[in-house]
Amino acid sequence: MLMKAGLTSADVKTGGIVLHSLHKRYGRATAVDSVSLTISPGEFVSLLGPSGSGKTTTLMMIAGFELPDSGQILLDDKDITRLPPHRRELGVIFQNYALFPHMTVAENVAYPLRMRRMPKAEIETRVHRVLDQVHLTALASRYPHQMSGGQQQRVAIARAMVFEPPVLLLDEPLGALDRKLRQHLRNEIKTLHKEVGKTMIYVTHDQDEALAMSDRIAVMHEGRIRQVSAPQDIYRRPADLFVASFVGEVNLIPVKLRSGVLQGPGGEDLAAARRPEADMDATLCVRPEHLRLDKAVGNPRGVQGRIVDMTFIGDATIVEFRTEYGLQLTSKVLNVSAETLPGIGDACVASWVANDASVLKE
Amino acid sequence: MARTVILPTGNVPSESSAVAHSVGPTPWAWLLLPGGIFLALLFLVPLAGLLMLSLGMPNWTFARFVRIGGDPVYLAVLRTTLQISASVTALALVLGYPMAYSLTTSKSSSLRTFLLIAVVLPYFTSVLVRTFAWIVLLGRGGIINDLLLKLGLISQPISMLYNRASVIIGMTQIVLPLMILPMYTVMSSIDEKLLRAARANGASPIAAFLTVFLPLSLPGVMAAVLLVFVNCLGFYITPALLGSLSDFTITMQIYSEVVDHLNWGSGSALSIVLLVSVLATLWIGSRFFPINKLLGLSDEKTGQDAVASPRTRKQWLMHLGSAANVLDRWLPSLGGYGVSIVSSLLGTLLLLPILVVAYLSFSSSAFFEFPAPGYSLHNYQAYISDSGWINATFTSIRVALMATSMAMALGATLAFGLARGRIPGRGAMVALVLSPIILPTIVVAIATYFVLARVGLQGTEFGLALGEAVYSIPYVVVLIVANLRDLNPAYERAARSLGAGPGATFRTITIPLITPAFIVAAFFAFLHSFDDVVYVLFLGIGVITTLPMLMWQSISQGVDPTISAVATLQVLLAAAVIIVSAWLRRRKSV
Repeated sequence: MLMKAGLTSADVKTGGIVLHSLHKRYGRATAVDSVSLTISPGEFVSLLGPSGSGKTTTLMMIAGFELPDSGQILLDDKDITRLPPHRRELGVIFQNYALFPHMTVAENVAYPLRMRRMPKAEIETRVHRVLDQVHLTALASRYPHQMSGGQQQRVAIARAMVFEPPVLLLDEPLGALDRKLRQHLRNEIKTLHKEVGKTMIYVTHDQDEALAMSDRIAVMHEGRIRQVSAPQDIYRRPADLFVASFVGEVNLIPVKLRSGVLQGPGGEDLAAARRPEADMDATLCVRPEHLRLDKAVGNPRGVQGRIVDMTFIGDATIVEFRTEYGLQLTSKVLNVSAETLPGIGDACVASWVANDASVLKE
Repeated sequence: MARTVILPTGNVPSESSAVAHSVGPTPWAWLLLPGGIFLALLFLVPLAGLLMLSLGMPNWTFARFVRIGGDPVYLAVLRTTLQISASVTALALVLGYPMAYSLTTSKSSSLRTFLLIAVVLPYFTSVLVRTFAWIVLLGRGGIINDLLLKLGLISQPISMLYNRASVIIGMTQIVLPLMILPMYTVMSSIDEKLLRAARANGASPIAAFLTVFLPLSLPGVMAAVLLVFVNCLGFYITPALLGSLSDFTITMQIYSEVVDHLNWGSGSALSIVLLVSVLATLWIGSRFFPINKLLGLSDEKTGQDAVASPRTRKQWLMHLGSAANVLDRWLPSLGGYGVSIVSSLLGTLLLLPILVVAYLSFSSSAFFEFPAPGYSLHNYQAYISDSGWINATFTSIRVALMATSMAMALGATLAFGLARGRIPGRGAMVALVLSPIILPTIVVAIATYFVLARVGLQGTEFGLALGEAVYSIPYVVVLIVANLRDLNPAYERAARSLGAGPGATFRTITIPLITPAFIVAAFFAFLHSFDDVVYVLFLGIGVITTLPMLMWQSISQGVDPTISAVATLQVLLAAAVIIVSAWLRRRKSV
């Protein structure tokens, strides 16, 4: 709903970004460690990770506010690694928006055009057009502190887009807002991306945001990219234990892999489609919603135990399950039918389809 | 303000301040009473008395003011005062802005620490010591002449002292910290992301500075210029010691009328002229910027309404910024070290006079020779073995301790009353509390003399302490109020919810949390009265000799190297106060 398709950026495919083994250290601490990533024009890529994972530093290097110690940044095959930020022609939306408090909305939006010394009439037309697109024409002469968080966010978007950069960099733009508004603006940004077709690089620590909006997600941890994939792959086929446990809920079961047989901690024979070839001790990952609990006793491929707790959360019930030797697992059962669930204290077998489980190395 | 209001009855402090105002004074407001009465008696009453005296009470007349307006001598004095004040303010602004800028934005933490020391140490070193340092540097037998002679650049000493230029140089160095600190306060509240946003939107570093940083720092510039200008108008010590006898400022004229000619009528009328000029400047200035915000006694966010500056100025800066942006494409990058280099040099200049005096205090020479021919402690031995210096030191300590106790007792209650009490007319109370440090000290001192003389307290140590307490109270209040605002009311509410009564909460939560601020405030109050010259000049009536008084007399009579030892000890005292307060502050934040 925010913008009509911008002809220029949609037709000419610009906005491809290549990061080539970026390194950045602060004193002894490594902030970014050999980060390489190729982003195609028009793609929406999220950098997802906990704080201190290097995602913001990476974004700031793309924007030009941090210089990498080594490595290259290419924008449409042009090396921009050492180009000062004001000559990069990248739109940046900052955390808390960084709207200039001494300028009105219109002046804020006109700022990039003034800095490019556009003719006055052209500036006016463009500012008017972009404010119209974000539905803020009526508030053009307000100051930022007179506006709500959602309105400020739209001003920030308008300001970052008015000079038609091929790429938008977004640094946790929804961080400061409440949950309802976040969901709403999340959809707005997604729609905006579809309409204008600009490349977007989105930094967040919120996995739901990343999963909902991205074409691809790069999960970062301790300065490294641990996995780059489409949201479905990140969730279903995590590359390592960190990705598995950072994105979504997961049950972690210590297992032994011996000549192709997967053994649980209680000696059970367990199922998992993705597993290493060699014999080793590893961890089996299975999502709570893939964990089935059956009263039927005697299922060989499963874990025997009892239900110790149940929590109703509206659309689903979270069932806590514990084996005799102390392994605790969580199952999420959707409340789709009136089918009665087992009760607390019932003996059950927990099992899953091999395709839904992965065995990951430590 | 609602955030910091905690009513002792345990009311939820969420009602708007308008509601709180309408319910009248709260119990906390009673704490304003003792300090308020003290300031009324020793500050308002004296000033009112001075006004009446200038109007010829009981034979009311405007004759004295008419004479000031018509006499070319007085007009020359007024012109000199305005010219010196304007020059010093302009010079201090030009030198101070880059320093404040580096202090806020420099990426090098060692540069920031150095600049902070260069600003704060002189700020808390007595004006007398710093003025003395300029005499050592600029005098006929001073260091600069000495060096120039040794280098063969001049054949005989040139006179650099006792003229307009030496006054301006000395005063500029003395007011620079006062210029820098308000600008620094406002600059540090500017979000660094705004500059990044400007850069990301196509502004070169210079354009980002002109269109974003400069306009947002203007409220601080305004406040600093105002404070410095007003301070210059009432400056006495430096013009008196460094200035020419044919180039009188208004404060020198007042001193001469009152002390040399015992002409109280003209003296009081001139004092009122000075007072009115200061108040008028402040009033005009406060149309643009509320001054009490800067001193931490207001809760409104700085910059929010101050940014509604006249559009024209902003537009002009926008034009300039976008023009600078074009230049950027042609100019090679300057590397961005220019400002850092300039401000390091300025910081060194700010510290240099003090350092030179400290260095020379260890010289074995009987004169101020540079470099020192050898090192000895003879200046310190001279200080310790001279009963005059030692007696003066003990007098200073006695007076400062008395003044500090009074200022602490009254200032602390005022601080609690102001931070937590609700009274109608709170603004007037704040103005009263802050006035003693904003209005010219010389005027307040003369006015206080009258009141003390009526009750026979002139020339007594207690009387002097009363006057100095008035001067120290504002510092105590500002330091404690700042701390009370940091003191999260949730702690006190938590204590109440855990079963502590109001008294127990105060004892177990409030007191421990603000003790560091009390210690810091006491130290600063002590330092201020220990360093005072102007009050003792008038209230001591030549009977009381404090350490600064003795220094003042020695400097006026000819430069005795022993002073350098005393001055160095005073700098050490200031440094100790700064270090202790910094240490207490850090410990609090852990």
